[in-house]
Amino acid sequence: MPEIILKNVSKRFGKFVAVDNLNLNIESNSFITLLGPSGCGKTTTLRMIAGLETPTEGSITIDGKTVFDADRGINLPPNKRDVGFLFQNYALWPHMTVYQNIAFGLENLKWDKKRIQERVKELLVMLRIEQFEKRYPSELSGGQQQRVAIARTLAPGPKVLFMDEPLSNLDAKLRMEMRTELKRLHRDTDSTFVYVTHDQLEAMTLSTRVCIMETGVLQQYAPPLEMYNNPANLFVADFMGNPTMNFIDGHINAGGEVSFGGMKARYEGKEQIGEKDVVVGIRPEYIHIDEEGAREATVYSTLPSGMETTVKLDVNGTSLTAVVFGDVDYPVDAQVKFSFHKAAVIFDQATGKNIGRGKLTLL
Amino acid sequence: MDQTVNRGIRLNRVKGRARAWMSKPANIILLVFLITLTVLTLYPLISLLLETVTIHTGREARAAKLAAGEFSFYHFQRLFLTKENDYSWIQFYQPFLNTLIISLASSLIAILFGGVVAFLVTRTNLKYKKFVSAVFTFPYIMPSWTLALFWEAFFKNVNIGLKTSNGIMAAVFHVYMPEWFVYGAFPIALVLGLHYAPFAYILIGGILRNMDANLEEAATILKTSRPRIIWRITLPIVKPAMLSTFLLVFASSMSAYSVPVFLGSPVRYYVLSTKMKSLMDSYPGQAYIIVAVMILFGVAILLLNQKVTNSRKQFTTVTGKSGQISKINLGKANRPIAILLVVILLLVAVVPLLTFAMESVIIKAGDYSLSNMTLDFWIGTDLEKRLDQGDSTGILLNPKVWNALGYSLGLAVTCALVAGTCGILVGYGVAKRRGSKLASWVNSLSFFPYLMPSLAFGAIYLAMSSKIPWLRGFLLLGLVGSVKYLPFASRSGVNAMLQLSGEIEEAAVITGVPWWKRMLRVIFPIQKSSFLSGYLLPMVSCMRELSLFVLLVPTSNTILTTMLMQYSEKGWAQFGNAINLLIIIVVLLVNFTVNKLTGASIDKGVGG
Repeated sequence: MPEIILKNVSKRFGKFVAVDNLNLNIESNSFITLLGPSGCGKTTTLRMIAGLETPTEGSITIDGKTVFDADRGINLPPNKRDVGFLFQNYALWPHMTVYQNIAFGLENLKWDKKRIQERVKELLVMLRIEQFEKRYPSELSGGQQQRVAIARTLAPGPKVLFMDEPLSNLDAKLRMEMRTELKRLHRDTDSTFVYVTHDQLEAMTLSTRVCIMETGVLQQYAPPLEMYNNPANLFVADFMGNPTMNFIDGHINAGGEVSFGGMKARYEGKEQIGEKDVVVGIRPEYIHIDEEGAREATVYSTLPSGMETTVKLDVNGTSLTAVVFGDVDYPVDAQVKFSFHKAAVIFDQATGKNIGRGKLTLL
Repeated sequence: MDQTVNRGIRLNRVKGRARAWMSKPANIILLVFLITLTVLTLYPLISLLLETVTIHTGREARAAKLAAGEFSFYHFQRLFLTKENDYSWIQFYQPFLNTLIISLASSLIAILFGGVVAFLVTRTNLKYKKFVSAVFTFPYIMPSWTLALFWEAFFKNVNIGLKTSNGIMAAVFHVYMPEWFVYGAFPIALVLGLHYAPFAYILIGGILRNMDANLEEAATILKTSRPRIIWRITLPIVKPAMLSTFLLVFASSMSAYSVPVFLGSPVRYYVLSTKMKSLMDSYPGQAYIIVAVMILFGVAILLLNQKVTNSRKQFTTVTGKSGQISKINLGKANRPIAILLVVILLLVAVVPLLTFAMESVIIKAGDYSLSNMTLDFWIGTDLEKRLDQGDSTGILLNPKVWNALGYSLGLAVTCALVAGTCGILVGYGVAKRRGSKLASWVNSLSFFPYLMPSLAFGAIYLAMSSKIPWLRGFLLLGLVGSVKYLPFASRSGVNAMLQLSGEIEEAAVITGVPWWKRMLRVIFPIQKSSFLSGYLLPMVSCMRELSLFVLLVPTSNTILTTMLMQYSEKGWAQFGNAINLLIIIVVLLVNFTVNKLTGASIDKGVGG
């Protein structure tokens, strides 16, 4: 049950800072996602933990064993860290059959032949690729290659499994399927998963905790739903959720009255904010359209998808995105009423930080 | 107290970083090559420059009226500034001018011929395409003098040159070609141009083949006419490849030695390389200056080429993976063009071989009747009783020939193994540490030998070996060959490694596969054919190499090519032709065996 601890880890390539003073505590048995736009340092972080990249500073501990410490000059090679790594392009060796691909790593660990055979068989069954045993990677479909890559990674039974955008090369349908299998695999293998992706939906659905990064700096490290409902700053709020959160510049006075986008509302939350320029953040699904709504708006356009409909509203020149569940649709330019439900998030306009979360009642 | 702790931490950090650096095989490889290549290329270069300001014993010392070993700029003054008897003009400026003319002309011929054929093969529905593309690289695989010797043998007559005998043209057809046609600038440029046309074919053809069809289709949609598309879209896209070819052929022609020796020297038409060779015996100081001039030219061309290929990368990013390319329909012109092309290729690639075979069996030159033919020059014995000159046995019964063949093969295999393996290692190091200063230094250093004209390179190593007593014979030849052919191997090595995603190796690192096993079991098998091409090219080049070794061989009987040269100088035409044929057959045999067995081929390594 390994636990991974990163302390003050930095990585610089010349003057470019890829990862800046990262502190991270990955609990054993968790499924952690490193999330962020491309170039934010998430892959570098993963590769540093795996030992494929050497950090410039800091220390990394896996399962109580220090695998890297810049100050003490410790740096264990990847194969001494007891980890598995699943690559984005699978990195299957094209000149070896499926069997050989899976067995190659075990041969290096000097397992005896019989044990290797049994283990490979076990994995082939587990990932449902028995019939492809003798095929070469080029003779397999993308999804099958992916399964072989997973089997190869799991073969030595690593306690920690690293995955670098393993699903990004699959089509949408297969990706859904593999997601559920990965989640199941996490339970069955009883190991710690660290997963890199730029897809917020993947991070939301898969992980027990999400670590979101931007330009090498950690933005928030929290369970996905907490991150969704209570984002630490504008960047996180914007990155999580699709359609994205509505952001409207506004001002809050000492009495808790917010004026934004031509609207006025009363803010009730735990945090006392005081008088400030703020950004009001409202999730689309918390904007309800019905007859009881407190305010009128014009329908600018609608995107019905069957299960839900995304409605773009125009409120005196301020545009709001709302999501209505069910197969409803509105004619363009229709007049509707809306109100805010559940919590809105208030961000400091100057710093972009989350300064309060609470109910907004339209006045 | 705190300070000592801090110092300890700092020391640990440095140690840790050094250990991390050294734990990557790529770093160690690059470091080793940086040091070795610096010694093997820069040291000879410096010793060469020293030779240009040193007085050598013998005629040179007497002519300069200075003591041997003295430091002096006498050679420069003598070679560049002597008006007396037009010395400088004859020894330097005239050959220099000739070199420029020939290099320029041969580059243009190569681009025109190779480019047009590349276009026809990739972009039209030409007939006999398979044959054309298979035979087109022949002239490059064969030694460059093949065509030169063929030209001479075919067109020579008793009125011109050495005025010894009539060639086929004069003897059979009674056509006596004028001297400018048979010897001098025209045939040299033509032969070199044809020899290097495969460069153009491979470079330009590669771009044309990978060019995104959409680029041309977009123009078609806009109602552009075919010729206009070629002129405004296709040509600009291949322009960088054409420039690249131009520079490569220019550099290669400039350093060519055997062709001007066969087609120029008989009429006292000299270029820098032949002039350098003739000066080497009596006035080495001046010869070394010519070498320096040639290297200077080579470096200038490399810098130009780098500029050109950098801009070429921008082009290749524009063109993506190609879809269906629409081929131009040649219509009625198809067959005549195809037949013309096949005839030219037969003349260039096949007829020379037949000519050599013919010339190696006739007794009296110029007489092509059956009664004048014999196999004596191949398998005869006691020839001294019947002939007034030449060896006493045919070449296949002559132990000297077999020894030379063995030596040549051994040398070729050695150079191929050393250069090919080093090329893979350089490729690995450069690709892994791509973008780092160390990698780009090693990359440039490993390409540097390409710029040194072969003859000049040989001359430098000759100068160097005179100071190192144990560097002699096979060791010296093997070293020179390995270094000289490293650029071919390192290029295909770098290309092959860059194609391989780093993850392929990392997947093995994770499971603890040691470095040597990753190389042997993972990396090599995947890029087998590219890597093997890196072995094949040095092997074939070495087998037919003359100019690199001509100054360095202990005796002219040592390797086949110098033996051929010696026979040709003595005027033993039949023996020479027979040996020439032997060399070509061996080279072709090696090439096709390797190609069939492994899929490696010359065109994967050339240029690029």
